[in-house]
Formats: sequence, structure tokens, C-alpha cells
Amino acid sequence: MSTVETTRRRPRAGELAPYAILAIMIVALALVPVVTQYTVRTANVYDIFQNFASYGLVALALGVTIIAGEFDLSVSSMYLLGGMVAVLTGAGSPLVGIAAALGTAILVGLVQGGLIARFRLNSMPVTLGGYLVVLGITYILGHNKSVMYDNFTVGLRLDKPVLQVFSIRSLASLGIFVVAALVLRYLRVGRDIRAIGGDRRAARVAGVSVDRLLVSVFIVSALGAALAGALLSYSLATASPTNIGFDVLTFSATAALIGGVSLSGGKGSAVGIAAGVLSLSVLQEILAILRSPDYVSSLITGGLLVVVTIVWAPDLSQWFRTTRVAASAEERT
Amino acid sequence: MARVGIERRPLRLADIALTVWIGILSVVTVYGALTTTGFLTVSNMKAILTAASFVGIIAVGLTVIVLSGNLFSLALGQTAAISAMVFLYSLRWGLAVGILLTLLLGLAIGTVQGFAVGAWGANPIIVTIGAAGLIEGMAVWLSHGESIVPPSDETSWEHLANPLFGLPVPVYVFIVVTIILAVVMRRTRFGRQIYLLGENRVAARAAALPITLLTVGAFGIASLYTAGAGVLIGATSANASLLLTGSYTYDAIAAALVGGNAVTGGRGSIARTAAGAIFIATISDMLLLRGYSTGGQILVRGIIVVVVVVLTNLRERNR
Repeated sequence: MSTVETTRRRPRAGELAPYAILAIMIVALALVPVVTQYTVRTANVYDIFQNFASYGLVALALGVTIIAGEFDLSVSSMYLLGGMVAVLTGAGSPLVGIAAALGTAILVGLVQGGLIARFRLNSMPVTLGGYLVVLGITYILGHNKSVMYDNFTVGLRLDKPVLQVFSIRSLASLGIFVVAALVLRYLRVGRDIRAIGGDRRAARVAGVSVDRLLVSVFIVSALGAALAGALLSYSLATASPTNIGFDVLTFSATAALIGGVSLSGGKGSAVGIAAGVLSLSVLQEILAILRSPDYVSSLITGGLLVVVTIVWAPDLSQWFRTTRVAASAEERT
Repeated sequence: MARVGIERRPLRLADIALTVWIGILSVVTVYGALTTTGFLTVSNMKAILTAASFVGIIAVGLTVIVLSGNLFSLALGQTAAISAMVFLYSLRWGLAVGILLTLLLGLAIGTVQGFAVGAWGANPIIVTIGAAGLIEGMAVWLSHGESIVPPSDETSWEHLANPLFGLPVPVYVFIVVTIILAVVMRRTRFGRQIYLLGENRVAARAAALPITLLTVGAFGIASLYTAGAGVLIGATSANASLLLTGSYTYDAIAAALVGGNAVTGGRGSIARTAAGAIFIATISDMLLLRGYSTGGQILVRGIIVVVVVVLTNLRERNR
């Protein structure tokens, strides 16, 4: 498998899928007025980008670990811990709170990534344990309750519309996506991350410092989740340990996979992940406009996740081939 | 690597670390048992056994997935909750129908997931995360977000929650289903093939094992057992909603891992998981009695999982 593409080539159909899905979602949003009497306004576009701000960085964080051939189950509780730390330490200055949240994330990523790289462990069980540890710490810090953030103006300032459809919060997320896209596309570290996800042994032989890169990937993953959580907590002026469940994880995993990140590792881009997050955000907005109950969103996201996982499944095409062969063989006899 | 004959191998760091860990855990547990007021009482032992039996039934079922090399399922808690809801609802057609319908539903849920994983090679973790979302959505949709209570004219289910010869019924169920599954895994061709599949997928494929069927079986059994636990959980709480999801998913996985089953599959046993479930229930009970908060309990479980994963991995690598 070649990881360095020197020659320009035409993108394959599969690589365009994320953008096709996004286009379908946008068309669907445009068609909403046909079904109901509702007219889509700029406020809806603002909502979509706010949703992007709340979940986008978690999807990016998770996406980078999947590209590197790993998986970080702890992002959903790191998201909560990030918010909790930011609210508890940011009473005086929100920037201090964010710095503290990011510092905590570096620590969590260092421990998880360090264990996984040092002992060559499967990242699923390690990050499952990490999920529990981080969730436990969030509960302890919040004394099992939600914690209010008294500095309301911070949230108002973060969410104040900029150019009608953006806010500081969504612009920050979009900015980080641009940086991540450039790093993954043009810098050596981006190529190396794809290399350790695609073929780790070959990458090691080729001189990639796999262990150090793995630790960095898990640090980046924790950072993304913690930053998104911290910004959301400021926006809501509250942090809570009780938002358990895989809501954040389901959303971000679905977004990353729709965005063209392959579960077998080595494939994916930040632009694709952004398209995946936007697709799901548009979908959420459509459901909100249609006043669908919460379970519809949960059904659709869960269903989508299962479908994209099956589409990405390595043996799917082979299964179709063999069953077709078997069926035609049966017909002949 | 084939090891011929049984020879004594030199003591390795992993063995020492494991022994030290077990030693530490034993000392802490015994110390806790002796110093926690209200721990060493008959009623508390019953409480531990009851708690262990709910998690234990789910965990021994899950062990088949772990042994088959498909990591674990993240939809167990949701499966247990929807099973409890379906059970209490279908009691209106009688106890037998209620139990049968719930078990069939559980089997169906697991079979579908197992098929996607086995036939198409879909990632088991992601498939089960998606399935969890689907089950949650279905549960809220069908129940209109209300919790399910058993019909007022039907009381036969109460036997499932009442004590029998001094111990709650779930404890007996736990013991019986654990023994059945342990025998199936050790003595039947299905069991041996699951071990082989988990130990070496490539060899299993080369030996033309029915990988799809085995994976469907593994997920089917796990989900069937979880539905069985759901029946007992529903009968015990007499009121079922998604709130019952609780921490069953993580507790069951923790029990399987703490028992020392290899995460990568192929090595471990049903008995190990049963012991792990009792251990987790004991620790949770002790922490609860000592006044630890929810956070403390989750934290301790998480630390135990991480340490055990590292240690079992070290030991497996040295074999």
C-alpha cells in the first residue's frame, strides 16, 4: 500500500461519498418547506454550526485515532470531564479553565496512549477502563451533581452570532478543523499517522517512531474531546457528570465513519470528518424543525452507524460474491 | 507457537506482577470485609449474591463473545432494559409466554448483530454501539417514554423475585446457567470451535470452521443470557424503563476482564467470569457500605479494569 501520493489521481467514488451525503442532507433541508409551512432561516444555519461546535471536535478526535488504527472509547467521558474541570477552575478567568481542561486531557491521553504503546495493548479495553476512570473522576469533582458556572457572560459571548451564522465557538471549531486538515494532508506527521493505521509493521520498518506517535494521537484525542466539552459547558453555564451513555460517542463515531474514515485504519481526512459532522448536524436540525421526538434522532443515528459500519466491513464484498456464486451453483444443479 | 509437553518454565515478571496484584486485592478485600460495618452479615452476603447474579448472568453470556475473539458488546445494558420492559408488558399473556417472548427477542437482537460481525466482518464494538442506540430509540418509541408495570391481575411473576429456600431465585438461575454454559464451552464441538476461532482466526478460516455461524452463536448466547437477566431484573424491580440500563454493560465487561479472560480471545473460561462477577459485586457492595459515592465506585472499577487488562496481556504474551 502506498502512503505517499506523488502523482495526482482522480478521486474514487468512495472518497466522494461524504460530500454526496452532505449534499443530500442540504437538499433535504431545502425541501423542508415543501413538507411543512416552515421557511428555513439563517437561524437554522446558525444552529447547524452550533451543533458542529458542540460535537465536531470530538468526531475529529475520534477520527484521528481511527485513522491511526486505534479507537478511543474514553472521548465521551473526557468530554464531560473537560467541561467539569473548565467550570470548576475557570471561575475567575475562562481561559484558565480551558487551560486546566486541556492539561487534564494531556494527562489522560499520556497515560492511555503510554499504556497502549508501551505494552502493545488493544485500545478498546484500555480506553473502556479509561472511560470509567475519567467518568468516576468527573463524578467526584462534581460531587455527583451538576455544577453551575456563574460567569454567564462568557457563554453569551461565545455564542453571540458572528456574520449571522457563526459564533466564536463554532469559528474556533472550524479553525481547528482547518489546521487539522492542513496537518493531516501536508505534514509528515499526517502521513505517518495514516501509515501506522494502514500497516503498522511496515511503518515501523520505514522508521516511523510508532510509539511516540501513538501517545500523541491519544493526547490529541483527549484534547479534542476536552476542548469541545469545556466550550459547551461555558455555553450552557453548567457542567454535569450524569450525561452518561454513548450519545456523544455515537454521534462522533457516526460522523467520522460517514466522513470516510475507515475502521480498518489508514484512511480518512479532516475535511471528510467535517462533512460527516455537518451532515449529521443538518439532519439534527431537520428533525428539530419537524419537531420529531428525541427517539427518532436516536433511531436514525444508531441505524446510520450500523449501516456505515457494515458498508465499511472488510468481508462484505466477498460475502456477496460467495453467496452469488453459491446461488448460481444451486441454480445449476 | 506449539509447546510440546508440559515443562516448568522460569518465573517471569508478568507472573510475579499478577501474583502481587492478586495478593494486594485479597488483602484489601479481607481488610475491607473485617473493617466495614455490616459487611459480614448474612443479609449482606445475600445482597452481594443477588447483585452478582444479575451481572453474572450477563457476564457469562458475554464471555462467549470475548472467547470468540470479538472483544465485547456495548449493547448489553440496553438489551437487559428492553428485555425487562418486554417481559413486564407481555405478562398479560401469562408468565410462560412472557419469559419465552423475552428470550426470543433477546436471541433475535443478538443474532442480527452477530450476523453483521460474523458474515461481513463488521467491527463488533461499533455495531453494538449502533445497536444500543437503536434499542434505546425503539424502547422509547414503543413505550411512549413511560415505564412499564406488570398487569394488576397477574402475580405469578412475583415468584421470580421472592426468595426460595432462603436465597433469591436469580441466584439459582445464575448458578444453573453458568454450569450449563461452562459445560457447553468445554464439552461440545461448538465450544471448542469458539475457542479456536478466538485463538487463531486465520487457522479457523483455514480449517473451514463455520465462522458466521459461530459468531452468530456467540452474540446470540450473550444476548439470550442478557434477556434472561432482563426477565429477572424486571421481576425484581416490578417497573421497567430504560433507567434499568444502569451500569450493566460495564459491570459485565469488567467481570469478564477481571476474571482474567484474554481480551483478544481464545483463552479464559466461563468459571473465571463467574468469579469476576462475584468479585465486582463484592467490591461494589463494600464501597457502598463504606459510603463511597457513585464516582468513587466507577473510578475503582475503571482502575481495576485497566490494571487487569495490562496484566493479563503481559501474561498472555509470555506464554
